[in-house]
Amino acid sequence: MNIFFYVVRRVLLTIPLLIGITLMAFIISHAVPADPITANLGQRAMSDERIVAAFRAEWGLDRPAHEQYLIYVQNLLRGDLGRSIKSRRPVMEDLKAYLPATIELANTAILTGIAAGLFFGVISAVRRNSWVDHLVRVLSLLGVSVPVFWFALVMLYLFYARLGWFPGPGRLDVGLTPPPQVTGLLTVDAVLARDWVVFRNAVGHLMLPAFVLGSFATGLIARVTRSAMLEVLGQDYIRTAHAKGLRLRGVVLRHALRNALIPIVTVIGFSYGGLLAGTVLIENIFAWPGIGQYAYRASTSLDFPAIMGVSLLIALIFILTNLVVDLLYFVLDPRLRS
Amino acid sequence: MFRRTVMPLLLLLVLLVSLAACGGAAPAPQTNEPETEAPAEAEATEAPAEEEAPAEEEAAPTEEAPAEEAAPTEEAPAEAEATEAPVEEETAEEAPSAEAGGGTLVIAIAEDTVSYDPGRAYETTPAIVHKATYDTLVTFPAGGVETIEPLLAEEWEISEDGTVYTFTLREEATFSNGDPVTAEDVVFSFNRMKNIQGNPSFLAETIESVEAEDEQTVVLTLSQPDPALLAKLVFSAFAVVNQEEVEAQGGTAGEDASTEDAAEEWLNSNSAGSGPYVLESWEPGVETVLVRNENYWGEAPAIERVVIQNIPEAATQKIQLEAGDIDLAMDLSADQVASLSGAEVYQSLSDTIFFLLMNQDEEIGGPMSDPLVQRAVRLALDYEGIVALTGGEAVTPASVIPVGFAGAYGPEQAMERNVEEAQALLAEAGYDDGLDVELEYPDFTFGGVNFSTLAQKVQADLAEAGINVTLAPTELQVALENYRQGLEPFGLWLWLPDYRDPLDYVEFLPEGVVGERANWMDDNADETILQLRDDLQVEQDEAAREEMYAQMQDYLQEQGPYAVLLQPGVQIGLSPRVQNFAYNPQWRVDVAQLSLAE
Repeated sequence: MNIFFYVVRRVLLTIPLLIGITLMAFIISHAVPADPITANLGQRAMSDERIVAAFRAEWGLDRPAHEQYLIYVQNLLRGDLGRSIKSRRPVMEDLKAYLPATIELANTAILTGIAAGLFFGVISAVRRNSWVDHLVRVLSLLGVSVPVFWFALVMLYLFYARLGWFPGPGRLDVGLTPPPQVTGLLTVDAVLARDWVVFRNAVGHLMLPAFVLGSFATGLIARVTRSAMLEVLGQDYIRTAHAKGLRLRGVVLRHALRNALIPIVTVIGFSYGGLLAGTVLIENIFAWPGIGQYAYRASTSLDFPAIMGVSLLIALIFILTNLVVDLLYFVLDPRLRS
Repeated sequence: MFRRTVMPLLLLLVLLVSLAACGGAAPAPQTNEPETEAPAEAEATEAPAEEEAPAEEEAAPTEEAPAEEAAPTEEAPAEAEATEAPVEEETAEEAPSAEAGGGTLVIAIAEDTVSYDPGRAYETTPAIVHKATYDTLVTFPAGGVETIEPLLAEEWEISEDGTVYTFTLREEATFSNGDPVTAEDVVFSFNRMKNIQGNPSFLAETIESVEAEDEQTVVLTLSQPDPALLAKLVFSAFAVVNQEEVEAQGGTAGEDASTEDAAEEWLNSNSAGSGPYVLESWEPGVETVLVRNENYWGEAPAIERVVIQNIPEAATQKIQLEAGDIDLAMDLSADQVASLSGAEVYQSLSDTIFFLLMNQDEEIGGPMSDPLVQRAVRLALDYEGIVALTGGEAVTPASVIPVGFAGAYGPEQAMERNVEEAQALLAEAGYDDGLDVELEYPDFTFGGVNFSTLAQKVQADLAEAGINVTLAPTELQVALENYRQGLEPFGLWLWLPDYRDPLDYVEFLPEGVVGERANWMDDNADETILQLRDDLQVEQDEAAREEMYAQMQDYLQEQGPYAVLLQPGVQIGLSPRVQNFAYNPQWRVDVAQLSLAE
C-alpha cells in the first residue's frame, strides 16, 4: 500500500513538473535572438512583408509571447501538441513516427550496456588486480571518455566498410520493405509479421549504433559495478558465505551482486538519460531516423512546437526512468519497504 | 530478488539471440521483391487503356526545336510522331523492354525536403526529385545554364516589348496517369504556385496573367519586361502539374490558395507530373523512392528505381560510397574526395558565392561604410590563398555574378591582391594607425566550406593591411536575423542564386534583397549604379545585357559594399557503375539520363 501511494504521488507530481518544463523550454527557445522567419522562409520570401505577415499569422507568432504560451498550454491540456512549422504535420504524429526508432536503438544500447557492464564489472571485481581487471578498467575508461562522434565513424569504417561484418547506416537495407507497422520497432514488427529476412537485417543494422551508443553506459556500469562489488566483497557476511563452503559463483551472484545493486541501478537510470542525449550524434552519423535527428532539425529551424514537443517527451522519459529506479530501490532494499 | 530483476533481462537477451538464430532456419523467407514490383505491373497494364485519348489526336509536323533537346535521348517521340499516331504505345512498351529491370540507383543526400509540392518546395533535395517527376515548359542543357532549351513547350514567341510570351506545347506530352498535358494545366500550375505565396512565389512576381489560348497555346502577360523570365521558368516551381489530379486532392489555384489549397499532403507522397519518373513514396528523414513512369512520353530512362536516402553526415556518405552501398554521395567536401578510394569523383564549379558585406550606413558600419576602406578590404584579401584553402574546383569570381552565368566575367578578371595599395587607401581614409572591426558570421559549414576557417583567413589577410578584425561567430539563425535587418557592420555570407540568370544578382545593388542588408539605398548610392540597375531589370537585348553586366562587375570591383571571396567547387562521389553523369546547378542530378553498368 505504501508503494501504491508513493507511486500515485510521484505521478501526480509529474504534472506540474511537465508544465514547468514547457515554460522553461518556451522561455529558452524564445530567448534566442533569432526569428523563425529566417529559418523557414527563403531569402526572397523573408523580404516580402506580405509573406512574412501571413507566416506570422499562420503560426501565431504575431501574438505577444505570454499569449502564445497560454494558447500552447491550453492546447497541451487537451492533448494537442500543435503543428510543426517545418514538417507542417501535427507534432504528435511526428513524434509517433520518430520515437520508435530511437526507443529501439536506446533500449538495445542500454541492454547491451547492462549485460556487458555487469559482466565485466563483476569479473573485474572478483579477479581484482589480475590482467582481466586491468583490461576491463582500461576499456571502461575508454568507453566513458572516447568522443562518441569519432568512435561511431571509426566503428562504421572498420566493421562496415572494411570488414563488412555489419550492414551500414539506416534501419534496413535499401530494397527491403519494412513490415506492417504495429509497434514501430522494426525487430518486433518483423517478428509479428514472421518476416525473418527483415528481422535479421534490422538486428544487424541495430548492432553497430547500439554498441557505440551503449559504450558509454557499458563503461560507466562496469566501473560502478566493480567498485560496488569490491566494497561488498570485503564485508564479513561474504567471508562467512565463503567459510560456509558455498561455491564462488553462488557467493558472487546471490550474496555480493544482490547487495551491490543499488548504486548500479542508480547509474543505469542515469545512463539511460545520457543515452537519449547521445542519440542526436549517433542518429546523424548512422542515418537513424529517430527523435535525435528530429530534435536537431527542430532546434536549428526554431520550430517552436516541435522543440516543445521533444522537450516534453524527453522530460517524460527521464521522469519515468527515475520513477522506475526509485521503485527498484523498494524491490532491492527490504529496509525501505517497512 | 535477484531473479526478479535480472532474470527477465537475461531471458529477453536469450530470446533475442535465439530469434536471430531462427532467422536462418526459417524456410523460404518471404523476400520483398514481389511486393515492390506489384504496383509497377499494375501501372503497366493500365497504361494502354488510358493512352488512347492522346494518341488519337493528329500530330502536327514538328519543328526542329525538339530535336535539339537532349540530343541522344530524343529520336523516338519527336520524329515518329509526325508520321503515325500510336507513338505513345510504342514508347510505353519500350519502357520495360528497353532495359529489363534497369536496376536501382541509390543517392545519399542530407535531406532538406520540407515539401514535395512543386508549388511550395524551395530546397535542394526536391530539385532532384522534381526534375525526375515533373516537366517545365523550358529547360537548360544537361550540363549548363547559359542557354534555354524547349521541354513541354516546343517553341515560343516573345512580343516586341518583351511583355507577352506565347508558348506552343508539344502534343505528345502526357502525365504519368496518361492524361494529355494541356494549356489549362499550365495555367493552373502557374496560378497555384503564385497564389500559394510560398517561398518560390516571388518567381512569378512579374507575371500578370497566364491564359490558355487553346489546348496547345499558353500566353504569359508580364507587368514589365523580364529578361530572366525563361530562366525562372526552368525552376521546378513552374513544373506543370495535372490539374484534374491535383484538384481531386484538394488543390486550388484561386486567389485564396495560400489558405485553401490542401493538396500538399498528397503531393508529398505522390507526383502529378509528366516527367520520366513518378514519386512512389516519401518517408521524411528516411528516404524518397522514385520509380519509372511507365506512361512517359519521351524515351524511357535506363534506371528502373531511384532511392534517395537521407544520410545527414557527409563522413557517413563517404564510408557508404567506399563500401559500395550507394551510387551517388551528394555532400562530400573537397577534403573528403581527396582521400576517397574505390569510387569516382565528379568535380565542377558550384554557383554559390561567399562574400563580405560592409554596411553603407555610417551609424552601423562605422569605418566600413567608407568607400576607401571598402576598396582597401577588396585589395587586402589573398584570393589565391582563399581558393587554395578551399580546394577542389574553387575559383575567385570577378564580382557577385558566379563564373558560368551568362555575362559573368571569368576568374582571370578577378580582383588581385595589393596590400600596399590597400594600406595607402586606409591612410587616405585617415586610418594610418589601423582600425578595429568585428566580423559577424554564421558558424556553420556549407557545401564543404567552413565559415570559421574562411573568417580566420579574412582576419589574417586584413591584419596585414592594418585592419584588425575580431571574429564574432554566431549561431546561424541569430546571424541571419541581424543580416536580414541590416544590422551587421561587417558580415561574411553566401548567396545561392534563386534562378540561373545574372538578373538575380541585381539584388546586390541598391535596395535589392542584399543591397538593403548593406543599407545600400537609393539615397546613398550614386546615379550611375541606380541607372544601371533600372536598365538591367528591363533590357531584353542579349548584347546590350552583356555590356551592362560588364559595367556592373567593373563598378563593384571599384566601389560598393561587397568583397567577393570565393566560388567553391562541388564534388559528387560516384560509384564506378554510374554512367553518363552530368551536373547541372539547377537540379544537380538528372537521374533520367543516368544508367548503371553491370
